[in-house]
Amino acid sequence: MSEISKDKASRLLKKRGSVSSVSSPDIKMKEIRSRAKDSVSTVSYVDEPTHHDDASRPAVHMENTYQLGPDRCFPVDAVNHILKDVLTNYLQEEKYEPELCRQMTKTIAEVVKARVKDLMIPRYKLVVIIHIGQLNNQSLHIGSRCLWDDANDTFASFVFRNTSLFALATVYAVYLE
Amino acid sequence: MEEYQPHHEEIGFNADEAHNIVKECIDAILGGVDYNQNNVNQWTAAIVEQSLTHLVKLGKTYKYIVTCAVMQKSGSGLHTASSCFWDTTSDGTCTVRWENQTMNCIVNVFAIAIIL
Repeated sequence: MSEISKDKASRLLKKRGSVSSVSSPDIKMKEIRSRAKDSVSTVSYVDEPTHHDDASRPAVHMENTYQLGPDRCFPVDAVNHILKDVLTNYLQEEKYEPELCRQMTKTIAEVVKARVKDLMIPRYKLVVIIHIGQLNNQSLHIGSRCLWDDANDTFASFVFRNTSLFALATVYAVYLE
Repeated sequence: MEEYQPHHEEIGFNADEAHNIVKECIDAILGGVDYNQNNVNQWTAAIVEQSLTHLVKLGKTYKYIVTCAVMQKSGSGLHTASSCFWDTTSDGTCTVRWENQTMNCIVNVFAIAIIL
């Protein structure tokens, strides 16, 4: 099951990956530098759509729906459950390895996004963030602040730990006004 | 005679602007200090709050999500990935990585447009 989703995730990334070729030389350089210094590699894979593509596409003007709030609230408990499910299934038996975890973070992000999308909550935009790190008696602090509409927007998060690694998954759901 | 129309209708999120704002905030708070367990809490809070305040001052109609991860340098690895379901023409993201001799700091900014 994980193989299929890994394939799907890598195919999805490859499809969009062709657009991000501009950023990859920088990333490769950074990797070499960080290995030489023997420090933590802080490279992040950014899959951004190129901006000139977006500028040629005119921004879509939507008509008023006169709708003040969402029909259905975002089900935080269901999403917490999904996060717990996905993280436990993928990481229960794994040991921390750089290559494996690099692939795993991307895969898990895609899988979580797909599952939350399957809940079919209309008019909600999603941001899924996954952190996977090695457990080494080091200290790590992660904080976040959001500027949004408290009545409609929300988030769900889950922390998973095993003997050699920890994983933090957060899903932010933002209502499209 | 043509009047000069200022380009006030910017399409999409300006990642460079956000990058500069956040980098300035981090430099102001973490510049020249070493990792300190007691202060990390207030550092992350301060970085995130200041970045958010400066982003809001831009006056654009965006909802913002700012996350900050501060980690002590100990040779252990950290991987971060994010996946977003949104409108790519109007929404965007920006990540700022910063480090000194004792710690690493990663700040993510996600901006989601509000349609008025």
